[in-house]
Amino acid sequence: MSVPIEPVAQLLSVALDSSVLLGGSGPLDSSVLLGGSGPLDSSVLLGGSGPLDLPFREGYVWSIIYVSLYVSLTAVTLSTLFSVPVAVLLGFAEFPGKGFVKSVINTGMGFPSVVVGLVVLFAVSNQGPLGALELIFTTEAMIMSQFVLATPPITAITLASVSGVDDGVRDAARALGGTRLDTALVVLKEARYGIATAILAGFGRAISEVGSVLIVGGNITSADGISKTRTLTTAIQLEARQGQYGTAMILGAVLVALVLTVNAVVVHFGDSGVTR
Amino acid sequence: MLRATGVSKSFGGERVFDDLSVEVDSGEVLGVIGPSGVGKTTLLRTLALSLEPDAGTVALGGTDAWAAEEADRLALRRRVGMVFQEASLFDASVGRNVEYGLRVRSPWADRIAASLGLTGTPDAVRESLAVVGLTEKANQHADSLSGGEAQRVSFARALAYDPDVLLLDEPTSDLDPRNTAVIEEAIEEARARGIGVVVATHDMHQAERVADRVAVLLDDGITEVGPTEVIFENPSDERTRKFISGELVY
Repeated sequence: MSVPIEPVAQLLSVALDSSVLLGGSGPLDSSVLLGGSGPLDSSVLLGGSGPLDLPFREGYVWSIIYVSLYVSLTAVTLSTLFSVPVAVLLGFAEFPGKGFVKSVINTGMGFPSVVVGLVVLFAVSNQGPLGALELIFTTEAMIMSQFVLATPPITAITLASVSGVDDGVRDAARALGGTRLDTALVVLKEARYGIATAILAGFGRAISEVGSVLIVGGNITSADGISKTRTLTTAIQLEARQGQYGTAMILGAVLVALVLTVNAVVVHFGDSGVTR
Repeated sequence: MLRATGVSKSFGGERVFDDLSVEVDSGEVLGVIGPSGVGKTTLLRTLALSLEPDAGTVALGGTDAWAAEEADRLALRRRVGMVFQEASLFDASVGRNVEYGLRVRSPWADRIAASLGLTGTPDAVRESLAVVGLTEKANQHADSLSGGEAQRVSFARALAYDPDVLLLDEPTSDLDPRNTAVIEEAIEEARARGIGVVVATHDMHQAERVADRVAVLLDDGITEVGPTEVIFENPSDERTRKFISGELVY
């Protein structure tokens, strides 16, 4: 397998040369990491003009928030579009081996993320089946790995929710003239809180993921310090490894705030649709 | 109108009924009485075209439903309404519940508009709720209703799309006398509209009150069908007589 040299060099540099952490004297330009002007320089504000001085290059935090959300929301959206119909079909169908299929899906919830990252890395590497697409160390590869990680919990929890809908509701929908599709839509609506929980669980798994996105994404920033494949989690991991615990805590708080915001939005929309 | 001829149904090798025939005409109320567990619900599901019989035919308006194409069978099924023993209302407002049968019969564009709240409450919904005396509850959530009110909404839900036949499975078994009276008045209203009604009940007094004809379903099938007063006052079948008089205890 051959991989692009530059991202690998960045990773190796981070691992081997601590001089690049705070200044620009290492083998990598300081803009690759935290900024070259020192952790408290006023020119490196969050967003450039906020009231609080933070040890980040202008635009850096916003860019990793953007990459984190873009990758996780895209992966979870794709996974939801795949998982929910599959769960509904499984919930409605009766066939030999259904219990085994459920067990496989449940087992998938415990997949080690680094293993998923390795498999996706092999798939998108130059010699892999998707090598021609040149996806390695891209957000698309990160989306692929998060899709694989988010799909089992979304499918399993959705399946449990759909299976928990009262048979009487299905019978009523059918007796009132509903087709199979109409009945499925009724069941989906009845199970919507469980499905929302499933999506939130998938989003939680995706946004908090470190191992696989580090492997397939490479934790890369551009020369001007803007994230290309760096997410909040990989940035936190990097900061902590460099001993920048304060910075890591700030990024951690941003991550927690993001997750809380997404949860609040989903819960709000879930509650607002009760009577329709 | 709706006629089952020689129908049989088994589950897992266990026979529920065999070679059973029954029919209901427009504007007629047929009571199906029998002890619990004898197969009344299975018979009603068979009549509702939800269950395919193992043998025999179920025809609505002369069309054999199970010999028809699926699309034609769906069209036939949509001419039948059914109310279950449990109300099983959807997690939505009362109005939306009653509207459901109308909605699934509408084009998708209209359905989407209704889902977005762009359309008002159809007249048929208001009229059906008026029949069961719950017009003022249209905007309440179904969870806020009492058991009796929920069952009345379930009745209105089946009545709203003006079915040719209405099948009621123990519709008042869990209700108090007041709600029972409302349901029985609604049955009378359905009959007045020309709807054929089948009421499965173990309450013989209710069958005597609401039915024009009564079919007695015992272990080995329908023992007797006839005008209500004949079945209750002068049954020709000995088992029917014993069941009516309470001598045949299950």
